[in-house]
Amino acid sequence: MRFDEIFDGAGAPRPDAVALAAELERLGPERLLAAGRLRDAIFMQQGITFDATGNDGAVHDRPFPLDLVPRIIPGAEWRHIKRGLAQRIRALNYFVDDVYHERRIVHAGVVPWALIASRSHFARAAHNIRPPGGVYCHVSGCDLVRDDDGSWYVLEDNVRTPSGISYVIENRIAMTRLVPSLFGRYRVRPVDHYPGLLLAALRAVAPAAEGEATVVVWTPGPMNSAYFEHAFLARQMGVELVEASDLVVRDDVCYIRTTNGLARVDAIYRRLDDAFIDPLEFRPDSLLGVPGLIRAYRAGTVAIANAIGTGVADDKAVYRYVPDIIRFYLEEEPLLENVPTYLLSRPDQLEHALDRLHELVFKPTGESGGKGVVIGPHADRATLDALERTIRADPTNWIAQEVIGLSTVPVVGPDGELSPRHVDLRPFAVFGETIKIVPGGLTRVALREGSMIVNSSQGGGSKDTWVLEDGLDDHAPPARIVDRAGPMLPDLRLDSWSAQQQQQQQHARDAR
Amino acid sequence: MLARIAHELFWLGRNLGRAEHTARMLDGVFHADLQGRPEDPSGVTLSWDSLLAIMGSSAPEGDSASRDVTIAALTQDATNVNSVASCVARARNGARSLRDVISAEMWEAINTFHLELVDQRVSSGPYAFVSYVKARCALFWGVAARTMLRDEAHAFLDAGGRFESADMVLRMLRVALPPVGEAGEDGEPSPTRDGQALALLQAVGGFQAYRRAVPAPPNAAPVASFLLFRLSYPDSVAASINAARFALSVADGNPRASEPVLRLSRLLADLEFRGRIAGDGAGLVEACEIVGRELALADRDIAERYFGGTATNDGLLRR
Repeated sequence: MRFDEIFDGAGAPRPDAVALAAELERLGPERLLAAGRLRDAIFMQQGITFDATGNDGAVHDRPFPLDLVPRIIPGAEWRHIKRGLAQRIRALNYFVDDVYHERRIVHAGVVPWALIASRSHFARAAHNIRPPGGVYCHVSGCDLVRDDDGSWYVLEDNVRTPSGISYVIENRIAMTRLVPSLFGRYRVRPVDHYPGLLLAALRAVAPAAEGEATVVVWTPGPMNSAYFEHAFLARQMGVELVEASDLVVRDDVCYIRTTNGLARVDAIYRRLDDAFIDPLEFRPDSLLGVPGLIRAYRAGTVAIANAIGTGVADDKAVYRYVPDIIRFYLEEEPLLENVPTYLLSRPDQLEHALDRLHELVFKPTGESGGKGVVIGPHADRATLDALERTIRADPTNWIAQEVIGLSTVPVVGPDGELSPRHVDLRPFAVFGETIKIVPGGLTRVALREGSMIVNSSQGGGSKDTWVLEDGLDDHAPPARIVDRAGPMLPDLRLDSWSAQQQQQQQHARDAR
Repeated sequence: MLARIAHELFWLGRNLGRAEHTARMLDGVFHADLQGRPEDPSGVTLSWDSLLAIMGSSAPEGDSASRDVTIAALTQDATNVNSVASCVARARNGARSLRDVISAEMWEAINTFHLELVDQRVSSGPYAFVSYVKARCALFWGVAARTMLRDEAHAFLDAGGRFESADMVLRMLRVALPPVGEAGEDGEPSPTRDGQALALLQAVGGFQAYRRAVPAPPNAAPVASFLLFRLSYPDSVAASINAARFALSVADGNPRASEPVLRLSRLLADLEFRGRIAGDGAGLVEACEIVGRELALADRDIAERYFGGTATNDGLLRR
């Protein structure tokens, strides 16, 4: 029995979802389908699309698949998630700092050095560089899932360039336009302050500059699948969206080329991997990089978010150690649990996992975005055989995890009826002076029945995620923002020629 | 040109400007109202009560205004003189008496707009309605820009539209700004009012412009300064006044002796000066009051000089 977040085992709506279920019922399939058609039209018009490969092999622009049934997270539950995430991110940040400096955690025997140094995202170039404020993971997005009993687990960490926040904000805007009546009795926490948080965090970590720090968003270019998001963030923050050819380093200082010559850059929010950012330090064949950028970074003249080398913390083999990492640095028990994970670099765990090929999930450690993941129970024999050969050839780059049931939330099907589908959750955190987490996050949903693959590139969709305010009484209408009366303004002027003439004649008569 | 024609053109512009700004405000408040109070208080919004206050009316029976009541009253309610439908109906009636002055395409744009509202052919969903009104207004002004001779007639039309923009944005500011002396804890401006400024900015569609022009976060003081003083933003009060002044000086045979042109010029100079010294947001409320008063006087001056009129109604000079 899967855990459904809207309806309980008996098919009745859960307490926080009563009003939502009633309103969905009232709208009915016809109106939900109509709203869906309007949604696709609006998304196409506004260019909120992603590239999907159709059956004929051609690449099509498809409207981003937003499902119209929101996901509800009660306020108390969200507070627990938020505390757990903040704890995790703080610990991961300490970990990155430690790995590139004293390596206390290695000397204490908690995480083996051989494992750290063999991670594909371990960056020797970052050694002994401490960014301003000691912040490395400025932007992070951990993937959370719920098991059959409804408890939350962290499935993956993502502290390199997590994407999806633009969809969180656009989804909310679309929902308020398409199905405003669903919001009826709820007070949903807003999400649109994220760009402001991000800008403030980037300014906070920028090296001291005269006046306002210059912040830029660095995109690999329009061909990148997340280009919409890069442009979205730059626009919302009011900063330049730059590509490598716009950036130049002179004497260890980073500049952008403008019509007025070179202008100093203080902070770069980069949306490309370490390997590509500086051909002098990383891949020499990278055309996307800026020669000398790492020199400037090392000289402390420019802040880069996320910092170089953070990929070592979201590696899937390091994931296995995150609870220990939290205990080591913070001396606290982890608030959010890990999914049980096996390191295939250890011979005993390797054999155990290979015996249970058809029961476990196998993931390559250095990948993200669901690439290379094999779900044992859903895979055929040939795939599993091939997987076993691959793993045996290179076990250090694989992990195995127990299968988590994944909770479900209903979606609107092609016929307008509701049916449950599996979901996960990616909340977004920004680490500037403090850690701030936008209420909710991106809920991704597998649109095929029974499927657990939620990635949008593989037929996944998304949902608006509602974190409710506390203290909402189900029976009272929600509190409106009550406002003290402002200044009394004069009535709006109305004027018509004939009224004026009458008035004039009146004046004329009075004068006589 | 005939005073009557000039008057109709001026009010055609004003009515359309009012319809558009009303729709934009509804959009901003509606979107924000559906969501709760944010952790970061800079998101708190203009309320429905504020919106009614901007339109110079208040909620029935002293209650807090509800979403549905306010939306119904301000969109398609033909009995409410300030609803979008009423503004468009007046604009269309004015345009009918101007058919020899305006281009056929302008007439068609406004007539279709009116007919579709009357026949309730526009979806009543708030988002669809607001998008429709914005698109129709943009169509009218675009067609006017392409097809209308740049003569006095065009100048009066333009002056009306820009004058109304200045008035509406100023009204929004006056309601959204914290009154003098009001401050939250630690002497910071009250966060509630701060958020209203942000909602307002989004309502007039100036969020991106603000982000590009001003490095400060969108709190009350910098947003209000932007919407009041920034000449490079076309819907700011100063830019609208400047455009109205320019249009009137084109229409006027002798602008150097024209009270409304002189009054608006003086007001602009004053605004520029205040914009330079209003670094920390001090004096914004006072500035808004002064601009409000001057605009009312300019309105009277315009009526007297061009429309041969004693056209002042009672509400005009109150406060």
